[in-house]
Amino acid sequence: MKGYELKDNVLIIKRELTSLDLFVKDFLSILKKYSDYLVVSGYVSISTGRTRGTEDVDIIFPIMEKSLFSSLFEDLKKNNFWCYQGDNAEESYSYVKNLQSLRFARINEIFPNIEFIPFNKTKKAKLFEFSHPQIIKIKDFEFKIPPIEFEILYKEIILAGKKDIEDAKHLRTFFSDILKQEKFKEYEGVIRSELK
Amino acid sequence: MAKKIMTDLDYVEFYARELKKNNKLFKQQKRLIEAQITASSSLFKNAFGEKDFKAEARKYLKGIGSI
Repeated sequence: MKGYELKDNVLIIKRELTSLDLFVKDFLSILKKYSDYLVVSGYVSISTGRTRGTEDVDIIFPIMEKSLFSSLFEDLKKNNFWCYQGDNAEESYSYVKNLQSLRFARINEIFPNIEFIPFNKTKKAKLFEFSHPQIIKIKDFEFKIPPIEFEILYKEIILAGKKDIEDAKHLRTFFSDILKQEKFKEYEGVIRSELK
Repeated sequence: MAKKIMTDLDYVEFYARELKKNNKLFKQQKRLIEAQITASSSLFKNAFGEKDFKAEARKYLKGIGSI
């Protein structure tokens, strides 16, 4: 059986869920009550079959008001997550306000963790990918990722480390049947603007 | 003629091509992920204990420059 299919514009990956997926699923089930989001970077490749280890899962979200963040923070704590940077919402919000990431893991664990990355409208590439989500589904776990072409170019042009180039190669090969050249052209300009 | 040695990138491409045709290969990936998570969990629980896990973890994370 093929590794994936594209049905009604949803990417369906034909595999069982892993503990890593369940960790992300639990985090997103809480986050979605408070904010929209996009899962980006390494987990996009891993969730589509790239066989490598990872320590963190990157999730971007639009910067939010303190009161909303406090509710999210308390809900995460209630559901057995802890934040590397602090135990109270007030001090943790100072990171969000300054567009710095927070990290959340399960109680009594360090890895895997969620790198929770705030962005605002000055971050053009993040805003673009956030506004053009691709839905992906593994069993009953549905979540949002960037367009695959965008993710490939971001890894090749911006991140460009060995791991990133390998992730991009995985995505280019695995999804070769559905990638669109016109999308690569469209997204390249957006991504290169990040370098300026 | 000498056989071409596969680079890491060649291997990634080969594996992705096979995975596209045959989803049974996902089982190997699941095994690797589960093994990594189990090993990491065991390592840090042993290192920090459960009583002061957060405090010890933060000391460690500060030490390696993660926070």
